[in-house]
Amino acid sequence: MIEVLEPGLLTTVQDLGRPGWGHLGVPTAGAADPWSMAVANALLANAPGVAALEVTLTGPRLRAHRALDVAIAGADLRATAGGHPISPGRAVRLEPGEELTVPGPPVRGGARAYVALAGGIDVPAVLGSRSTCLGASFGGIEGRSLRAGDRLTATAGGGRTIDAWPGEPIAPRIMDRDGTVVVRVLPRPSTAPEVTSTTWIVSAASDRMGLRLDGDGRQQTGADGELPSHGVVRGTIQVPPDGRPIILHADHQPTGGYPVAGVVITADLPSLGQLAPGDRLRFERVDLTAAQAALVEQRAAWAAAVAVLRADAGWDDLWRSAGG
Amino acid sequence: MTDAGVARLVPFGDAAVLVEFDGDDEATEARVLRLAGAVERLHAADPAFGRAVPGFSSVLVPVDPLEPGVDGAMERLGQLVGEVAAQPSRELPSGPLVELPTRYGGSDGPDLDEVAALHDLRAADIVELHASVEYRVRYLGFAPGFAYLWRLPDGLATPRLATPRALVPPGSVAIAGGHTAVYPFASPGGWRLLGRTHVRIWDVTADPPALLLPGRRVRFVPVTDP
Repeated sequence: MIEVLEPGLLTTVQDLGRPGWGHLGVPTAGAADPWSMAVANALLANAPGVAALEVTLTGPRLRAHRALDVAIAGADLRATAGGHPISPGRAVRLEPGEELTVPGPPVRGGARAYVALAGGIDVPAVLGSRSTCLGASFGGIEGRSLRAGDRLTATAGGGRTIDAWPGEPIAPRIMDRDGTVVVRVLPRPSTAPEVTSTTWIVSAASDRMGLRLDGDGRQQTGADGELPSHGVVRGTIQVPPDGRPIILHADHQPTGGYPVAGVVITADLPSLGQLAPGDRLRFERVDLTAAQAALVEQRAAWAAAVAVLRADAGWDDLWRSAGG
Repeated sequence: MTDAGVARLVPFGDAAVLVEFDGDDEATEARVLRLAGAVERLHAADPAFGRAVPGFSSVLVPVDPLEPGVDGAMERLGQLVGEVAAQPSRELPSGPLVELPTRYGGSDGPDLDEVAALHDLRAADIVELHASVEYRVRYLGFAPGFAYLWRLPDGLATPRLATPRALVPPGSVAIAGGHTAVYPFASPGGWRLLGRTHVRIWDVTADPPALLLPGRRVRFVPVTDP
């Protein structure tokens, strides 16, 4: 059992989400960076999609009440275990009474870290998932972020495999030399303005529902945003009348009526979870062939790392469950 | 003439296909419902096709990005649209009727008087108009259980608030554009509030968790007691 001493800014229980309920208005939810969560789980021989903690920028202080293997991946939020620094992509045993702290802020960029417990966090599945649905207050711990005094138990099973992940412990992403993150998109012919010809800044108003962008190149559309609503997916780039694009994220509404400028390719969805306020971003148009090639390459990189771990964690299964 | 001629299939990123229909009439509504049902059967047979998300006049179908991929999925879904169009009935199925006892005005419907003023009517006229017709659940979105009910009587269509409320009470009965809806739980919201019902329209422990499902019919019944 683990006790929450301090909850951090926004720490939630997440798995790979609950696809398949959009027709009832239910967001998919799930890890904002599923790559990093799968890394933390793989280090403990957990299945990729068992529930873990998602930590945002400034994280929690946790105390183990019995010996427990834990792993951390994603952004480097200056974590310590039993008083010793622990890097992303590492697993470690907490002895009874020892603390895991994830104080943040990020050392080299990124926004989120994932803390996995051997066996996974034991909370009830709701609509097929243990993810927290913050908007409608269900899933995870009572549908909310962690509070001091919460107690987390791990499901039996799992166990530390090796100490270090033999690959990227954070969702891979492409960056320009000046640090601008490149997000590849498939354009969508519509009335939305062009978004690929300018550099955007991630706004502080971003959350798990959407990454809100701002920039000098924005074009106000003046449209009233009352197009007939249709189903949308994670990674959809909506442009409201004020011209500030919103990239729909893990907790997005399943339908939307704003003009759509494009959709982020599947291979670049995990890295969206590591964008922090103030980060610079530009969109790059690609075609379907390039989008599929990027996904094949990413899955191969995952499979190579997992092969080294000799763990039975399938990226294909992960993506199938994440994508619907 | 067949329905197939008015469907457009477009890739929506590398992991979804959007099927759009023209028009906002009952025939379009029927096509959306029938195609969503057909996609549901396809999903059951082949999980590489996700569950359909109906929209106002469209159906979004999530697909596995590599197998079949969007291009392969377009072909299969094109066939499906053709099969749906070939079905003889073009009529809307008559779903179950849900009656929602609603207290209008006062603290339950803080925007009732303003809506009446906008339409140059009395508050009682707005209540009578709103409760005079049977609505159908067109699709869900915005929040779990939030159903877009179609369609408001002519003369009641009203733009949403310029500034959304930070907190709308659960059960609030509201209008915006040509739709009316019930807020399933406390949330922010920009629709104009006419009244409130005590009927619980979202219960995550129920099966299904939403009361207002696509195709169901809804009538608001004015009441004075809670």
